[in-house]
Amino acid sequence: MPQLLIELRNVTKRFGQRLAVDQLSLQVERGEIHGLLGHNGAGKSTAIGIMLGQVWPTAGDVIVRGADVIAQRSTALARVGAIFEGPSFYDYLSGRRNLEILSSYSAATPQARLDEVIGWVGLRGREESKVSTYSHGMRARLALAQALLPNPELLILDEPSDGLDPEGIHEMRQTILRLHNELGLTILFSSHLLTEVEQICNRITVIRQGQKVFGGKLSDAQIEKGWVRLNVDDFERATQLLQAKGWLDGKVNEPLIVLDPVASTADVVRLLVEAGISVFEIARHEETLEEFYLSLMKGMSRKAP
Amino acid sequence: MFFLQLRSELWKLFGKKRTYIGFGMFLIAQNAMLLAFHLSHWQADLSRMLEVNGYLAAEYVSALTVAVIMLLPQNVLLMPLYTSLIGGDLVAKEVEDGTLRMILCRPISRFRLMFLKWLSGIIFAAVLVLSLGAMALFFARFWFPWKDMFVFAPGLVFNILGTGEGLRLFVFSQLFLVVNATVILSIAFMFSSFNMKPAAATILALSYLFLNLVIESIPFFERYQHWFLPYHFRSWLMVFANPTPWARIAESQCILIAAATTTFIIGATAFQMRDIKS
Repeated sequence: MPQLLIELRNVTKRFGQRLAVDQLSLQVERGEIHGLLGHNGAGKSTAIGIMLGQVWPTAGDVIVRGADVIAQRSTALARVGAIFEGPSFYDYLSGRRNLEILSSYSAATPQARLDEVIGWVGLRGREESKVSTYSHGMRARLALAQALLPNPELLILDEPSDGLDPEGIHEMRQTILRLHNELGLTILFSSHLLTEVEQICNRITVIRQGQKVFGGKLSDAQIEKGWVRLNVDDFERATQLLQAKGWLDGKVNEPLIVLDPVASTADVVRLLVEAGISVFEIARHEETLEEFYLSLMKGMSRKAP
Repeated sequence: MFFLQLRSELWKLFGKKRTYIGFGMFLIAQNAMLLAFHLSHWQADLSRMLEVNGYLAAEYVSALTVAVIMLLPQNVLLMPLYTSLIGGDLVAKEVEDGTLRMILCRPISRFRLMFLKWLSGIIFAAVLVLSLGAMALFFARFWFPWKDMFVFAPGLVFNILGTGEGLRLFVFSQLFLVVNATVILSIAFMFSSFNMKPAAATILALSYLFLNLVIESIPFFERYQHWFLPYHFRSWLMVFANPTPWARIAESQCILIAAATTTFIIGATAFQMRDIKS
């Protein structure tokens, strides 16, 4: 049983002259909820398309469930479910018929299993209605049902909350957590909604212009060790003084600094006050995911393991 | 699994209202033609032609004769239109709607999916052609008596047949019309497999067919007419000839089947190489 359910190794994808994914390496371990973050056009959907064998990589290896997606597609995708942004169905057919059709491309699915999944997602009573009569929320549930039918161990969700109202987003979040907790699914979750990622994921990968700019635990992203918030009346002179003293390791992004471990905050305050600089605040900085994400998008350097 | 997946393709195809447009139009067209036969001088012209050739017209203006006459223009104009419409939809419409992406995240191979779609298209073409033939005979029987048969197509066939023999050959000729429809559907399917809108695939397929028809009809190209599809499409009429030119029919059928297979392979290859994105 492979421990890594998704492994991208130096994957590159070009569409003509445009580089959509650039040397992307990504690992999703069994049992985690992994968030994939990035702005529009960053390459998230392309990366997901590559993982599902819908988009051919220009270079690199794509391993899903221990098998190469291109060479061993049937093994790699046998127990993978996926939901895309704005899921599409055969609107002129019933929900049940849609599930029968979509599941037939994975494996023969007994009616009992269909009933079980329909019940699980809360569509019982409406499964015989045409999909054209479904609300956004019901379509999202149907999308979830079709993803669950192959009895997946890996679920890939590409912007699943897109187009849902706040109630629907809340419901989707709870469902994802249920899937993880009750069914033990490993989930790759791509979203623009940082609060969703913050509440659901335990690891994240951030992509900018096709490149990975951060990969790691969510807790690492939220508490960047060493960052200190320094509010003073003359930030520039303060950093010069700290630099001269050798207490600054070089990273500065007003009002944030990174102190050398030898320097305590008490030493810093004493130095600045003696130099006539008013110190209003000095504290260890904990970023929200939003701040962290925005700083990455602005191009601040971060470790990308 | 294969038949389960084929059933899914057929559910999708026959679940759509637009799939039935062709059937509806044939129904209207055939009844309009039958009405025109009755109200125009067509019957008198046909009788005159038979009598000039020494036959008793009253014996041969029958349901079978009229059914074949009705099929001639419908198989040149309407059948290509509706098979192209469906063929153009098979892949491109699913890409456009986003449903293909839902399928392609599953372990099915692209080639298998394309083969299933093509096969479902062929089943549609067969159902359409056989329904067209059955409807032509059914409605013609309402207006004309069940008698011997007369078949005339300039340069191809002039023959009279008994009722039983005529019916047998009529049914047999429908099989060759299914091959014609399959070729047309395959051409549209091929275009549909490239990155284009369904309407564009349909228009390209129809343009290609009409270009064949136009070029073939230019006198300069007469000696090259066996290079054009309409020349081979007409082999269904030769079934009624006496003696039956089996070698010529077999040659045309082989070429048509090869054309259908080639277009499928081109389409499947193009689809295999494509990136499918939302």
